[in-house]
Order: sequence, then C-alpha cells, then structure tokens
Amino acid sequence: MKSPIKIVFGKELKDALRDKRSVMAAMSYAFFGPLLMAVAFYVLISQLTDTSDVKINIEGAEHAPAFVAHLNTQGVVQREEDWPAGQQPITLAISPEWAENVATAQPARVTLTADFSSQKQRTDLRRVERAVETYTAQLSYIRLQMRGIDPKITQGVNLVKHDTATKGSKAAILLGSVLIFILLSVFFSGMNVAIDISAGERERNSLELLLSQPLTTHQLVWGKALAASAFAMFGGVLSAVLIPFIFKLLPLHEIGISIALAWPMILLIMALLIPLALLATALQLFVSFRAKSFKEAQTYISLLLMAPMLVVFGVEFARVKNQILYYLPLTGQHQALLDIIKGESLQWGAMAVSAVATVVLSMLLLRLISRMLSSEKVVFGL
Amino acid sequence: MIEVKSLKKSFGKVTALNGLTFSAPEGQITGLLGPNGAGKTTCLRTIYGLLKADTGEALIDGVDANVDPLEVRRKIGIFPDKFGLYERLTAREQIAYFATLHGLDGESGDAAVQQVISRLDMGAIADRRATGFSQGQRMKVALAQAIVHRPKHLILDEPSRGLDVMSTRILRDLLRELRDQGTSILFSSHVMQEVAALCDQVVVVAAGKVAAQGTPTELCQQTGEEALEEAFVKIIGTDEGIAA
Repeated sequence: MKSPIKIVFGKELKDALRDKRSVMAAMSYAFFGPLLMAVAFYVLISQLTDTSDVKINIEGAEHAPAFVAHLNTQGVVQREEDWPAGQQPITLAISPEWAENVATAQPARVTLTADFSSQKQRTDLRRVERAVETYTAQLSYIRLQMRGIDPKITQGVNLVKHDTATKGSKAAILLGSVLIFILLSVFFSGMNVAIDISAGERERNSLELLLSQPLTTHQLVWGKALAASAFAMFGGVLSAVLIPFIFKLLPLHEIGISIALAWPMILLIMALLIPLALLATALQLFVSFRAKSFKEAQTYISLLLMAPMLVVFGVEFARVKNQILYYLPLTGQHQALLDIIKGESLQWGAMAVSAVATVVLSMLLLRLISRMLSSEKVVFGL
Repeated sequence: MIEVKSLKKSFGKVTALNGLTFSAPEGQITGLLGPNGAGKTTCLRTIYGLLKADTGEALIDGVDANVDPLEVRRKIGIFPDKFGLYERLTAREQIAYFATLHGLDGESGDAAVQQVISRLDMGAIADRRATGFSQGQRMKVALAQAIVHRPKHLILDEPSRGLDVMSTRILRDLLRELRDQGTSILFSSHVMQEVAALCDQVVVVAAGKVAAQGTPTELCQQTGEEALEEAFVKIIGTDEGIAA
C-alpha cells in the first residue's frame, strides 16, 4: 500500500502542473526577477562609465579664456541646446573681476547654480566641481612657486589610498540585491500552489470530504507541503540557473567587477534553497489554511511575504553583521549565499545549523497546521 | 452497524444535538429526517469524527471515531454535505485518488475504479476534466468516490438535493442495490417522498433529539395520518423547514 503522503503529494503535483496560472507564476517570478536586475545593472553600468561631455551654461567665459579651456579639457563644455523639461539648468558664472583677481592673487569668484538635490545631475555636478578644483590646485601651485615656496608645504597630510576590496567584494554590494531575488523566488514561486491546495480546497468545498478519509491530518499536510515546496524549489532552481547567464551578458568588467560562479557553487545555492522552500511553503500553508477563500488567502500571503523581504532587505541595507545571522533560518541562507558570491571562505558548520533550524521550524509549523486541521473550530470556521 | 448513543453537542449557546440515540443496522436504509437546523449534518459529522461530541458516542461496528478516527473512516463511505470536485482532474482521477487513499492502488485499484464507473454509467465522462460537469455528473463523481472502496457503511448527507429525476433514480437504485448487499446506509433528508420511497426505517430528528422512530407506515399509524408528511408535521409540531 502506498503511503498517504505520497498519494497526496502525487495528486497535488499533478493538479498543480495542470494549473497554468500556478506554473506561470512559478516561472515568471523566477524569470523576471533576475531579468529586472539585469536591466537595472545595465543602466547603472552605462551611467557609471559615461564619458560624454557635461554640457552646462558658462556665463562670462570671455573673462577667463584659460579657465574655460581647462574646463573643456576636463569635459565640461558650453551648452548649445536647451535644457530638457523638468531639469534645472546648471550654470557656472565667472565674475568680471576674474583677470584682476588672478593678477592680484585674490580668490576669483565663480558661482555654480544648480539643483544640488537632483539625483540625475549628481555626477554632472561632481565633474564640474572636480574640474574647478583641479584648476584651483594648479593656480595655487603656480602662485606658491612664484613666491619661491615649495608647493608641497600646503600638503599637511599625504593620504595614500590602498583599496583592499577584491573584485569579488565590490561585486557583492551589487550582487546582494540579486541574492534577494534568488531567496525570494522560493517564496513567490510556490505561493499559488500553496493557496490552491489549502484555501482553494475549502473554497471548492472539498476539504470536508478529504478530512474524512482514512489518513491523518499530519500525512495530509505533509503531502501538500511537499507538493508546494516542489514548486517553490522549481522557481528557486530556475533563478539560480539563470543568474550566472545574466552576469555573463552584462559588461560588468567595465566597472571592474568579475563574478565567476562555478557550477558546484550553483548546486550549493540550490541545496541551500531546499530547506527554505519547505519553510516558505509551511508559512504559506499556515496562513492560507485559515482563510476561507482564495482571495482572502492571497491577501494574507501578500502581507506574509513582506516578512522575508523586510528581513533580507533589512540585513542587506542596514549592513547588519552578527554571527547569529549565520545560524537562523532565512538569514543563514542569505549570509551563506553572500559568502558564496563574494568568494569568501564558507562556514559549513553554520550552513548546516541554519539548514537544520529551517527544517525544524518548518516541521513545527506543519505540525501546528495538522493540529489546526484536527480542530473543528478551524475546519468549520466555528 | 452504525450506533449513535445519547450524543450531545453544542456550539456556544446553541445546542445542536441533545441526547440523540438511534442505530442503523446492516442491510437497511435508515433515513434521518428533520427540518433545517435539526442537527442532521452535525450528527453525521460526529459519526465520521470531524466533530467531537460533548458527551455520548457514535460507533461504527463498535469503534468510536473520536478514539480511532482512521479505523472508522476505513469502514465508511461518505457523501458529504458539500462536495467539491478538483476541476483540473478527470472523473477517473478523482475517484482513483479516493480509492488509493483507502489503500486500493495498482491493478486492484484500477479495477475498482473501472467497476464503479461502469456501475454508475459514467463511461462518457470518466476521462473528462470536471470543469463543466453538470450537477448530476458531479453527484455521480461524488457518489463514486464514496463507494469505490466498497464500504460496509454508507453515510449520505442530503444526497438528492439539486438532482433531476434521472439522477435521483440512479441514486435510489444504487442505494437499494447496496442495501441488498448488506451495507448499512444512513442518509439525511428533508424530502418526504424520497424518505417514504426509500427508507426501511425513519428517524425523525427535531431540536437535536429523536422525535419518533419506525418504518414510514408505523409513523403514519402512530400519528393517525395518511401521509408521511402530515405525520412528520404532527411529530415535530411545526411545519417549518419541510420541502414537500
């Protein structure tokens, strides 16, 4: 006789695979997440490596031809065309006293007018400022030399920068956001199936008969959880496989980043996702078995999805560093994935601990669900 | 043999069952007749262990569903209050799902499924997905799910609601056939003709208690009425909730 868990698993999997909506959902989250990232990276890289001229309004250029010539060599040029709508003009005004100030060794006034809070113009402004600064430096150098003073005297401290960031660790900053997509794909991909086999069962009035069959609620819940996890895992595998391909397509070398994810590492990522898929499903089933309809479950689950997102984004952007993160469910997988991508040494022990913690938590949740389904209050909504 | 012994069950302040006692012996069709809200569905759900009685017990062949629910559920076939089909599975797959849950897999499972499909004359719809099934076709699938494992006890909760004449006939014929094979059949209804036409024994339930018990003829004699419907009204003392 076949085990009831296997029977339920087989039936739910067959049912879910025939549901185009579930399959599409599992595919699209895994697919569009990395793709979205790729587009974002592409824009970022092209912005960072942009070497075209900064075109600004230069007023009073006739007062300081040498200065303007310097600006031009630095890629800051007079703008001929109009500013696009919605963009504040950047104006550099050279005062008419320029020649006099320079001759008498006074600071020559140059006014930079712009919207300094504009995100788009930030790099342009930085380049204008830098061009002005280098000219100032040149000017003071000459002034000191003319007075017979070693210009080095103005350099109190010589700051020598040694960048110890490996190419990998630079990449990690960027890749952190990609990891979030891999981790979340597990939560998104199985969602539809999880709702369909729990709240859907109630909505189509098949729950009562199913609960009256000769199998324990525990077996029922495990069969269902494994089927939904299989879907979650399908999404996880898909995004884990896709991401290295997307990196290959991007001109990451232009910003000095190299990522080499070997296949063993990708397999490791998939292995790390397995317990997480079970946990994601257990959480989703826990919530949606309480819902009376598909719609209601969807509402709860979208709220529930905020939780892993908040945790992962929080850790990612607040740059929380604590060893305990390595041992907990979800953050443990997140940290391990970060290490893998950064190419750092892996903490196998911590990985195992967090995997076990994740599985134990899922098992507890599933036990709770089976207890819930044995309760007439939950089943009949009394 | 299905035995119900002084079952009591309340939901909050509402008393659904108030000391219900009756039995449904083998080879008989027992009808549970009562107005809406009399506690019929609550009683049936208690028998297969989805609800726990406050006091009293419900036994299938001497086994209490609250003590050993799996053993009880192996012995019964259920046609529940609400039955929904899995729209993406074919009729055959749905029936096979419940057959395997009852331990019928492999060749014996396939044979059992095929047999019930032939018996209910469902060949034409057996390999179609359930989306678009008519009410009668859905009823047949639900019925097939209930009897595919040849249970000794069959419990049906208002099986004929929403069925046309042909489907009702199929249902009645099937129930008579199963009774003759020795199955104890318990079904709830509030439709008089159906109970009168089908039942060997009628248990009239009102306000969670047995109001009267006997064959349809006996009930009529007890109350001195010609028709079962009049007898029923007299027994429960009101004509609320009866469908003629």
